[in-house]
Amino acid sequence: MSNSKLYKGSLTTIILKLLNEHDKMYGYEITQKVKALTKGELKITEGALYPALHKLEAEGLLDVEVAKVDNRLRKYYKLTETGTKETVNKLEELAEYIKTMQTLVNPKLV
Amino acid sequence: MKLNKSQIQDLYIFTRQHFVEHYDLQTELVDHLANDIETQWQSQPKISFEDAKNKAFKKFGIFGFMDAIEQRQKAMNKRYRGYLWNELKKWFELPQLIGTIALFLVFYMAFSSKYTAIFTIVFYVIISAWSIYKSTLLNRQFRKRKEISNKKWLLEELIFKQAGGASLIFFSQLYNVFTIPEKFEITTLFLILFSLAFTALTLINYISLEVIPSKAEKLLNETYPEFSL
Repeated sequence: MSNSKLYKGSLTTIILKLLNEHDKMYGYEITQKVKALTKGELKITEGALYPALHKLEAEGLLDVEVAKVDNRLRKYYKLTETGTKETVNKLEELAEYIKTMQTLVNPKLV
Repeated sequence: MKLNKSQIQDLYIFTRQHFVEHYDLQTELVDHLANDIETQWQSQPKISFEDAKNKAFKKFGIFGFMDAIEQRQKAMNKRYRGYLWNELKKWFELPQLIGTIALFLVFYMAFSSKYTAIFTIVFYVIISAWSIYKSTLLNRQFRKRKEISNKKWLLEELIFKQAGGASLIFFSQLYNVFTIPEKFEITTLFLILFSLAFTALTLINYISLEVIPSKAEKLLNETYPEFSL
Protein backbone atom coordinates (compact mmCIF):
# COMPACT_ATOMS: atom_id res chain seq x y z
CA MET A 1 0.00 0.00 0.00
CA SER A 2 2.88 2.32 0.66
CA ASN A 3 3.27 3.40 -2.94
CA SER A 4 -0.39 3.64 -3.71
CA LYS A 5 -1.35 6.41 -6.06
CA LEU A 6 -4.33 7.07 -3.83
CA TYR A 7 -2.08 8.54 -1.19
CA LYS A 8 -0.11 10.76 -3.53
CA GLY A 9 -2.70 13.48 -3.88
CA SER A 10 -2.87 13.82 -0.11
CA LEU A 11 0.84 14.26 0.58
CA THR A 12 0.56 18.02 1.00
CA THR A 13 -2.38 17.66 3.38
CA ILE A 14 -0.50 15.08 5.44
CA ILE A 15 2.53 17.37 5.75
CA LEU A 16 0.40 20.39 6.70
CA LYS A 17 -1.57 18.39 9.25
CA LEU A 18 1.60 17.08 10.92
CA LEU A 19 3.10 20.56 11.09
CA ASN A 20 -0.14 21.83 12.53
CA GLU A 21 0.23 19.41 15.44
CA HIS A 22 3.94 19.93 15.96
CA ASP A 23 5.56 23.28 16.28
CA LYS A 24 8.35 22.52 13.82
CA MET A 25 9.63 19.42 12.09
CA TYR A 26 12.50 18.39 9.80
CA GLY A 27 12.26 16.21 6.72
CA TYR A 28 13.43 12.92 8.16
CA GLU A 29 11.23 13.39 11.21
CA ILE A 30 8.18 13.77 8.96
CA THR A 31 8.87 10.49 7.14
CA GLN A 32 9.36 8.68 10.45
CA LYS A 33 6.28 10.20 12.05
CA VAL A 34 4.04 9.13 9.18
CA LYS A 35 5.52 5.66 9.26
CA ALA A 36 4.91 5.38 13.01
CA LEU A 37 1.39 6.84 12.94
CA THR A 38 0.23 4.55 10.15
CA LYS A 39 2.16 1.60 11.59
CA GLY A 40 4.19 1.33 8.41
CA GLU A 41 1.16 1.30 6.15
CA LEU A 42 2.11 4.59 4.58
CA LYS A 43 5.72 5.46 3.86
CA ILE A 44 6.39 8.90 2.46
CA THR A 45 9.20 8.46 -0.03
CA GLU A 46 12.18 10.76 0.25
CA GLY A 47 11.95 11.49 -3.46
CA ALA A 48 8.48 12.96 -3.00
CA LEU A 49 8.80 14.61 0.40
CA TYR A 50 11.43 17.27 -0.32
CA PRO A 51 9.88 18.47 -3.58
CA ALA A 52 6.57 18.82 -1.72
CA LEU A 53 8.16 20.72 1.17
CA HIS A 54 9.98 23.12 -1.17
CA LYS A 55 6.80 23.76 -3.11
CA LEU A 56 4.91 24.59 0.08
CA GLU A 57 7.74 26.86 1.16
CA ALA A 58 7.65 28.68 -2.20
CA GLU A 59 3.90 29.11 -1.86
CA GLY A 60 4.44 30.83 1.46
CA LEU A 61 2.69 28.14 3.50
CA LEU A 62 5.87 27.08 5.30
CA ASP A 63 8.67 28.97 6.91
CA VAL A 64 12.13 27.58 7.63
CA GLU A 65 14.52 27.65 10.54
CA VAL A 66 18.01 26.20 10.75
CA ALA A 67 19.71 24.91 13.88
CA LYS A 68 23.00 23.16 14.54
CA VAL A 69 22.44 19.62 15.79
CA ASP A 70 25.27 17.09 16.29
CA ASN A 71 28.02 18.29 13.86
CA ARG A 72 25.49 19.28 11.24
CA LEU A 73 22.82 21.80 10.29
CA ARG A 74 19.18 20.87 10.45
CA LYS A 75 16.42 22.60 8.53
CA TYR A 76 13.10 22.82 10.32
CA TYR A 77 9.77 23.62 8.70
CA LYS A 78 6.87 25.31 10.39
CA LEU A 79 3.51 26.68 9.28
CA THR A 80 3.12 30.33 8.43
CA GLU A 81 -0.12 32.11 9.18
CA THR A 82 -1.32 31.44 5.63
CA GLY A 83 -0.19 27.85 6.08
CA THR A 84 -2.34 27.40 9.17
CA LYS A 85 -5.40 28.70 7.32
CA GLU A 86 -4.67 26.53 4.32
CA THR A 87 -4.39 23.46 6.57
CA VAL A 88 -8.00 23.94 7.65
CA ASN A 89 -9.13 24.18 4.00
CA LYS A 90 -7.12 21.16 2.93
CA LEU A 91 -8.44 19.04 5.78
CA GLU A 92 -12.02 20.00 4.95
CA GLU A 93 -11.37 19.11 1.33
CA LEU A 94 -9.98 15.75 2.34
CA ALA A 95 -12.90 15.01 4.67
CA GLU A 96 -15.29 15.87 1.86
CA TYR A 97 -13.39 13.57 -0.47
CA ILE A 98 -13.49 10.69 2.01
CA LYS A 99 -17.24 11.19 2.49
CA THR A 100 -17.86 11.18 -1.26
CA MET A 101 -15.78 8.08 -1.75
CA GLN A 102 -17.65 6.33 1.03
CA THR A 103 -20.98 7.14 -0.58
CA LEU A 104 -19.71 5.71 -3.83
CA VAL A 105 -18.03 2.62 -2.48
CA ASN A 106 -20.40 1.73 0.29
CA PRO A 107 -23.81 3.33 -0.36
CA LYS A 108 -25.52 1.32 2.41
CA LEU A 109 -23.62 3.17 5.13
CA VAL A 110 -25.19 6.50 4.28
CA MET B 1 26.12 6.25 17.41
CA LYS B 2 26.39 9.65 15.77
CA LEU B 3 28.17 10.61 12.56
CA ASN B 4 31.45 12.43 13.00
CA LYS B 5 32.57 15.58 11.22
CA SER B 6 34.50 13.84 8.46
CA GLN B 7 31.54 11.59 7.70
CA ILE B 8 29.34 14.68 7.42
CA GLN B 9 31.89 16.18 5.00
CA ASP B 10 31.80 12.94 3.06
CA LEU B 11 28.02 13.27 2.75
CA TYR B 12 28.40 16.82 1.40
CA ILE B 13 30.77 15.47 -1.26
CA PHE B 14 28.32 12.66 -1.94
CA THR B 15 25.45 15.12 -2.63
CA ARG B 16 27.74 17.14 -4.92
CA GLN B 17 28.60 13.97 -6.81
CA HIS B 18 24.88 13.45 -7.27
CA PHE B 19 24.44 16.85 -8.90
CA VAL B 20 23.29 18.85 -5.89
CA GLU B 21 25.22 22.08 -6.43
CA HIS B 22 23.65 24.41 -3.93
CA TYR B 23 24.55 24.50 -0.29
CA ASP B 24 21.06 24.84 1.18
CA LEU B 25 19.77 21.69 -0.51
CA GLN B 26 23.03 19.86 0.20
CA THR B 27 22.65 20.69 3.89
CA GLU B 28 19.10 19.42 4.04
CA LEU B 29 19.94 16.18 2.23
CA VAL B 30 23.08 15.63 4.31
CA ASP B 31 21.00 15.84 7.48
CA HIS B 32 18.45 13.44 6.03
CA LEU B 33 21.05 10.86 5.00
CA ALA B 34 22.80 11.25 8.36
CA ASN B 35 19.54 10.63 10.25
CA ASP B 36 18.82 7.59 8.14
CA ILE B 37 22.32 6.18 8.67
CA GLU B 38 22.10 6.73 12.43
CA THR B 39 18.73 4.99 12.54
CA GLN B 40 20.20 2.05 10.63
CA TRP B 41 23.06 1.85 13.13
CA GLN B 42 20.58 1.55 15.98
CA SER B 43 19.20 -1.71 14.64
CA GLN B 44 22.32 -2.92 12.81
CA PRO B 45 25.38 -1.53 14.60
CA LYS B 46 27.76 -3.47 12.37
CA ILE B 47 26.71 -2.01 9.04
CA SER B 48 29.49 0.15 7.53
CA PHE B 49 29.09 3.88 6.88
CA GLU B 50 29.38 3.34 3.11
CA ASP B 51 26.74 0.61 3.02
CA ALA B 52 24.36 2.55 5.22
CA LYS B 53 24.87 5.65 3.07
CA ASN B 54 24.06 3.78 -0.14
CA LYS B 55 21.03 2.21 1.46
CA ALA B 56 19.79 5.63 2.58
CA PHE B 57 20.34 7.08 -0.89
CA LYS B 58 18.43 4.24 -2.57
CA LYS B 59 15.30 5.33 -0.73
CA PHE B 60 15.24 8.44 -2.89
CA GLY B 61 14.32 6.23 -5.84
CA ILE B 62 15.86 5.84 -9.27
CA PHE B 63 15.99 9.57 -9.93
CA GLY B 64 17.97 10.17 -6.75
CA PHE B 65 18.02 13.82 -5.77
CA MET B 66 16.79 14.99 -9.19
CA ASP B 67 13.19 15.78 -8.19
CA ALA B 68 14.34 17.65 -5.13
CA ILE B 69 16.82 19.68 -7.22
CA GLU B 70 14.22 20.53 -9.82
CA GLN B 71 11.58 21.55 -7.31
CA ARG B 72 14.08 23.62 -5.38
CA GLN B 73 14.99 25.48 -8.55
CA LYS B 74 11.36 26.12 -9.36
CA ALA B 75 10.72 27.31 -5.84
CA MET B 76 13.68 29.71 -5.94
CA ASN B 77 12.72 31.12 -9.33
CA LYS B 78 9.26 31.71 -7.97
CA ARG B 79 10.68 33.47 -4.94
CA TYR B 80 12.89 35.65 -7.13
CA ARG B 81 9.95 36.58 -9.36
CA GLY B 82 8.01 37.38 -6.19
CA TYR B 83 10.71 39.83 -5.06
CA LEU B 84 10.76 41.40 -8.53
CA TRP B 85 7.00 41.75 -8.54
CA ASN B 86 6.89 43.26 -5.05
CA GLU B 87 9.41 45.90 -6.05
CA LEU B 88 7.62 46.59 -9.31
CA LYS B 89 4.32 47.13 -7.49
CA LYS B 90 5.93 49.88 -5.42
CA TRP B 91 6.38 51.90 -8.61
CA PHE B 92 2.64 52.05 -8.99
CA GLU B 93 2.12 53.48 -5.52
CA LEU B 94 2.89 56.97 -4.32
CA PRO B 95 5.48 58.50 -4.24
CA GLN B 96 7.22 56.35 -6.91
CA LEU B 97 4.12 56.51 -9.07
CA ILE B 98 5.07 60.10 -9.95
CA GLY B 99 8.39 58.83 -11.30
CA THR B 100 6.66 56.12 -13.32
CA ILE B 101 4.25 58.61 -14.86
CA ALA B 102 7.08 61.04 -15.61
CA LEU B 103 9.06 58.28 -17.28
CA PHE B 104 6.08 57.26 -19.34
CA LEU B 105 5.47 60.88 -20.41
CA VAL B 106 9.10 61.31 -21.48
CA PHE B 107 8.83 58.22 -23.68
CA TYR B 108 5.44 59.24 -24.96
CA MET B 109 6.48 62.77 -25.89
CA ALA B 110 9.67 61.57 -27.54
CA PHE B 111 7.94 58.88 -29.57
CA SER B 112 5.09 61.15 -30.63
CA SER B 113 7.56 63.65 -32.10
CA LYS B 114 8.74 63.51 -35.69
CA TYR B 115 11.74 61.42 -34.71
CA THR B 116 10.15 58.21 -33.43
CA ALA B 117 12.76 55.94 -35.01
CA ILE B 118 15.70 57.97 -33.77
CA PHE B 119 14.36 58.19 -30.24
CA THR B 120 13.72 54.44 -30.25
CA ILE B 121 17.35 53.81 -31.08
CA VAL B 122 18.64 56.37 -28.58
CA PHE B 123 16.57 55.00 -25.67
CA TYR B 124 17.36 51.47 -26.67
CA VAL B 125 21.10 52.15 -26.69
CA ILE B 126 20.96 53.95 -23.33
CA ILE B 127 19.01 51.15 -21.62
CA SER B 128 21.18 48.43 -23.17
CA ALA B 129 24.47 50.14 -22.37
CA TRP B 130 23.44 50.67 -18.76
CA SER B 131 22.21 47.05 -18.45
CA ILE B 132 25.44 45.62 -19.85
CA TYR B 133 27.49 47.85 -17.56
CA LYS B 134 25.49 46.83 -14.48
CA SER B 135 25.54 43.13 -15.40
CA THR B 136 29.32 43.24 -15.71
CA LEU B 137 29.64 44.95 -12.33
CA LEU B 138 27.31 42.41 -10.69
CA ASN B 139 29.21 39.51 -12.21
CA ARG B 140 32.45 40.91 -10.86
CA GLN B 141 30.84 41.39 -7.46
CA PHE B 142 29.64 37.79 -7.55
CA ARG B 143 33.14 36.48 -8.30
CA LYS B 144 34.50 38.47 -5.35
CA ARG B 145 31.84 37.01 -3.06
CA LYS B 146 32.83 33.53 -4.21
CA GLU B 147 36.46 34.20 -3.32
CA ILE B 148 35.35 34.76 0.27
CA SER B 149 32.98 31.80 0.45
CA ASN B 150 32.67 29.01 -2.08
CA LYS B 151 29.23 27.92 -0.92
CA LYS B 152 26.73 28.15 -3.73
CA TRP B 153 23.29 29.65 -3.20
CA LEU B 154 20.75 29.56 -5.96
CA LEU B 155 19.10 32.83 -5.02
CA GLU B 156 22.49 34.54 -4.97
CA GLU B 157 23.12 33.32 -8.51
CA LEU B 158 19.73 34.60 -9.59
CA ILE B 159 20.35 38.00 -8.02
CA PHE B 160 23.87 38.51 -9.34
CA LYS B 161 24.16 36.49 -12.49
CA GLN B 162 20.74 36.25 -14.04
CA ALA B 163 19.62 39.74 -13.19
CA GLY B 164 20.02 40.83 -16.78
CA GLY B 165 17.62 38.14 -17.97
CA ALA B 166 14.96 40.65 -18.92
CA SER B 167 17.39 42.64 -21.02
CA LEU B 168 18.54 39.48 -22.79
CA ILE B 169 15.00 38.89 -24.02
CA PHE B 170 15.00 42.49 -25.10
CA PHE B 171 18.29 42.10 -27.00
CA SER B 172 16.96 39.11 -28.85
CA GLN B 173 14.17 41.36 -30.13
CA LEU B 174 16.66 43.92 -31.40
CA TYR B 175 15.56 43.72 -35.00
CA ASN B 176 11.88 43.87 -34.16
CA VAL B 177 12.29 46.87 -31.88
CA PHE B 178 13.96 48.84 -34.64
CA THR B 179 11.41 47.96 -37.25
CA ILE B 180 8.31 48.45 -35.08
CA PRO B 181 8.01 52.21 -35.77
CA GLU B 182 8.23 51.53 -39.53
CA LYS B 183 5.80 48.64 -39.59
CA PHE B 184 2.97 50.17 -37.63
CA GLU B 185 0.94 53.16 -38.33
CA ILE B 186 1.72 55.64 -35.60
CA THR B 187 -1.58 55.97 -33.80
CA THR B 188 -2.18 57.18 -30.26
CA LEU B 189 -2.83 53.62 -29.13
CA PHE B 190 0.44 52.47 -30.67
CA LEU B 191 2.32 55.31 -28.95
CA ILE B 192 0.78 54.50 -25.59
CA LEU B 193 1.65 50.80 -25.86
CA PHE B 194 5.14 51.46 -27.17
CA SER B 195 5.84 53.96 -24.36
CA LEU B 196 4.40 51.56 -21.79
CA ALA B 197 6.71 48.80 -23.05
CA PHE B 198 9.73 51.07 -22.67
CA THR B 199 8.59 52.21 -19.22
CA ALA B 200 8.14 48.61 -18.08
CA LEU B 201 11.50 47.59 -19.49
CA THR B 202 13.27 50.49 -17.79
CA LEU B 203 11.65 49.67 -14.43
CA ILE B 204 12.32 45.92 -14.65
CA ASN B 205 15.95 46.48 -15.57
CA TYR B 206 16.39 49.05 -12.82
CA ILE B 207 14.81 46.76 -10.21
CA SER B 208 16.63 43.58 -11.21
CA LEU B 209 20.02 45.22 -11.75
CA GLU B 210 20.00 47.85 -9.02
CA VAL B 211 17.28 47.53 -6.37
CA ILE B 212 17.34 43.77 -5.73
CA PRO B 213 21.17 43.41 -5.74
CA SER B 214 21.36 46.26 -3.23
CA LYS B 215 19.10 44.25 -0.92
CA ALA B 216 20.93 40.99 -1.57
CA GLU B 217 22.11 40.38 2.01
CA LYS B 218 18.67 40.96 3.48
CA LEU B 219 16.95 38.72 0.91
CA LEU B 220 19.54 35.96 1.28
CA ASN B 221 19.28 35.96 5.06
CA GLU B 222 15.52 35.89 4.82
CA THR B 223 15.57 32.96 2.38
CA TYR B 224 18.37 30.95 3.93
CA PRO B 225 18.43 30.96 7.72
CA GLU B 226 21.77 29.17 7.47
CA PHE B 227 23.27 31.90 5.26
CA SER B 228 25.02 33.73 8.07
CA LEU B 229 25.72 30.66 10.19
